[in-house]
Amino acid sequence: MDRQKLGAELKRIFPPERVLTSELERRMYSYDSSFMARFHSFVPDAVVLPQSTQEVSALLKLASQHRIPVIPRGAGSGETCGCLAVRGGIVVDLSAWDTIEEVDVANMQVFARPGVVHYKLNEHLAGFGLFFPPDPGSTRMCTVGGMVANNSSGLRAVKYGTTEQYVLGLEAVLPDGQVIQTGGANDCRALKNVSGLNLTKLFVGSEGVLGIITRIRLRVWPRPQARGMAMAVFSELELAPAAVLDVYQSGILPSGIEILDTSAIQAINMYKPEINLPSAEAILIFEVDGNPAGVAWEGQQIAEIVGRHAVSVEWATDPARMADLWRGRSVVAVAAARLRPDGSRIFAGEDISVPLSRVAETLRRIKELSRKHDVAVVNYGHIGDGNIHTAPVINLDSSAEVQRANALVDDIHRLAIAMGGSTTGEHGVGAVRNQYAVDEHGEAALVMKQLKETLDPLNIMNPGKLFPPEGGKDRA
Amino acid sequence: MPEDLEGLKEQYLRCVRCGQCRSVCPVFEAVKNETATPRGKVFLAHLLATGEIKANTQVQAQLSRCLLCRSCSKECPSAIPVHQIVSAARAELVCRAPSPVKRMVFRHIWTRPRRLALAAGLTRQIQILGLDRLGLSLGLLPPGFALPGRLPRRAARATIPAITPAAGKTRLRVGYFLGCSTNFLFPGVAESTVAVLSRLGCEVVIPPELKCCGLPQLASGEADAAVNLASANSEVFRRLNVEAVVSDCASCTAALKESPEFAGIKVIELSELLLELLKEYNPGLQQITKPVTYHDPCHLSKAQGITAAPRELLRLICRDFREMDGASDCCGSGGTFALYHYQTSMAILDKKIAAIKKSEAEIVATSCPTCIMQIRHGLTGHGCEIDVVHTVELLERALGRET
Repeated sequence: MDRQKLGAELKRIFPPERVLTSELERRMYSYDSSFMARFHSFVPDAVVLPQSTQEVSALLKLASQHRIPVIPRGAGSGETCGCLAVRGGIVVDLSAWDTIEEVDVANMQVFARPGVVHYKLNEHLAGFGLFFPPDPGSTRMCTVGGMVANNSSGLRAVKYGTTEQYVLGLEAVLPDGQVIQTGGANDCRALKNVSGLNLTKLFVGSEGVLGIITRIRLRVWPRPQARGMAMAVFSELELAPAAVLDVYQSGILPSGIEILDTSAIQAINMYKPEINLPSAEAILIFEVDGNPAGVAWEGQQIAEIVGRHAVSVEWATDPARMADLWRGRSVVAVAAARLRPDGSRIFAGEDISVPLSRVAETLRRIKELSRKHDVAVVNYGHIGDGNIHTAPVINLDSSAEVQRANALVDDIHRLAIAMGGSTTGEHGVGAVRNQYAVDEHGEAALVMKQLKETLDPLNIMNPGKLFPPEGGKDRA
Repeated sequence: MPEDLEGLKEQYLRCVRCGQCRSVCPVFEAVKNETATPRGKVFLAHLLATGEIKANTQVQAQLSRCLLCRSCSKECPSAIPVHQIVSAARAELVCRAPSPVKRMVFRHIWTRPRRLALAAGLTRQIQILGLDRLGLSLGLLPPGFALPGRLPRRAARATIPAITPAAGKTRLRVGYFLGCSTNFLFPGVAESTVAVLSRLGCEVVIPPELKCCGLPQLASGEADAAVNLASANSEVFRRLNVEAVVSDCASCTAALKESPEFAGIKVIELSELLLELLKEYNPGLQQITKPVTYHDPCHLSKAQGITAAPRELLRLICRDFREMDGASDCCGSGGTFALYHYQTSMAILDKKIAAIKKSEAEIVATSCPTCIMQIRHGLTGHGCEIDVVHTVELLERALGRET
């Protein structure tokens, strides 16, 4: 179908102001935050902005009829081209569909449409003394729909886990337009449910390849009353994971444990000299939360245990000081670029996950790879669950550097698999890590594909993502 | 000269398109699709610079959907000056495909005080004849034309003397940058500014040869015209030998402070100066009894980083000062933004009006004439009888009659 006709068909389903067809408008949907999108222009054929399940269903019927790819999109803050039309088609921008439909306090759950922004959901829940624990760094822009589709998590996954643990049920539209409720039809509000195959979990993290999520039933938790933080400085990298293990062994489960290595410390100090972190091989930041007495006791314990390994430990419950400490961690993603004046931080190979016991070894190996490929890398991440964020810093204008960065990223992904880990801990696969699917999952990758073919025989849902490309490695 | 697109290349290349700007952009919040995001505008600027897209009316329309409120520049984790990039992209567009009407307005009328005064006079005559209402009702004029309301009979410059001596002993000789909006729309604010400064020991000089601060030109892509204005204005102040330059307009103050031509001239933000003078001379103050809230103009809070001084000043003179929700959220005015994007501007304004109502204040104070205009328009539209004033007007009331 040509673009003009497609536009006209879409305007029979959606009001005209929610169908974008001009070249310029479509171009604005050609990017996410990934490195790959900087070098490829994935311009969709049309963009629609649904406000109802009926609209989505009608859209998918139309797309099935004409075999047009459909690509769901949240805030477009992802790093994997997951929401881009790598094979053309219709991008479905769900971010404007942002109603929090109901907070069911008595049943500890909330019902939301996919476009609700994470921090706005938590702001709303705070009024009920509740919260939705996963906390991605992109909280201020990412949508809960995107979080569910990518099974997002963040700094506090150590204690609170990932999004999947909170999704009780979904309304989803299948590629043929059929609408299903997972986790129990008939307005099910049960917190536990083991009847049937768990389709909810199948959809969580499915990156839009099975259908479009249009309504989300999330479990929420009571909001913790207190929070405290400890910063520990280490002279040797290997001492940091040892300290983390000792904390776990003592029976304490912090809400978050973050690591900064030498490069990250250096980058932060260059970016914001006033933060003035001590130079060291590693810095760990522990966060504990809960009731005030418990937090104080745990903080004391952590300071004592970690103190056996660290050069120094500082414990803080004062909000201003905590904000200072946290600032060091939060600016690193950006600060990375400061490592060199013409440098840009790129999001590629940025999210590997390795066994806790191999974090230090992985960090050392990444440093070797950085030297081998002559690409500067800043390392930081969620050491508490082995999720390492590597930030290559390159000059985007140099094609030689771009090439070296791509080679480095490939090595980092393969390193993760060799370490007994995964190429991605929280950001997802999209079109940038699908070539590792068989290496990472073996035969299971083929079963995944069979599942996909069953639900989406025409392969219209987000094609070119998640599954290994036919005929080996092609970049989408 | 402000950086052109080429000069800003390192800045826009740093954008990783994380989307954090989506969380603060008032235009995006109203439009709710990616075409309105700051990162989208940075992306467009990039495409424009590399020649991947041609300058046309569509690009122009997209880039015009920015208030230059700097919420995104302030929020950006990569510290990208989005407002500078948007201004530079607009300059690029003007260079490649100038619009004759806009060029006439911003370059040939607004830069020359006499022509601007004539245009204002003409506008007033049109208003008296009711032609503006006719034009609005027939849809010949964009609805944003109604925003300024009926222009006052006389502009501030026509009534305020060029030099006003200090009421008592002269403690400071200040140059008052009387900006276009205050001059034509709010002469009363200018009178208050002069009166208050004089009461607090300032000799106030308003050089008659002053021109526009250059911000409207910069925002509309006429960067070189902006530089010429700044250069002319700075020369005037240098010749005058004043100790400081102040303005009651947050936008003018920001423009002067940021202009390299003003290097070496001490530009002080009005509320900071007033607070300093109040603390130093400690005059008697009559408390304002009605509940008062404060709206942060973007060009004060985001461009100049000033949020404390106006509040401290208001707390000194108001018995009941109360914060509204989102006090530093943009009101949607953005200079001439409302002219081109009235619906969007009003959607942004509605949120501000709701916050004001919720605060249950009876007076809204702010420090920018276009914010006053915008918020008054919104409150009138919502049928609210809440007064919107410049902070300096409240201070004048608090200082009471001269004895």
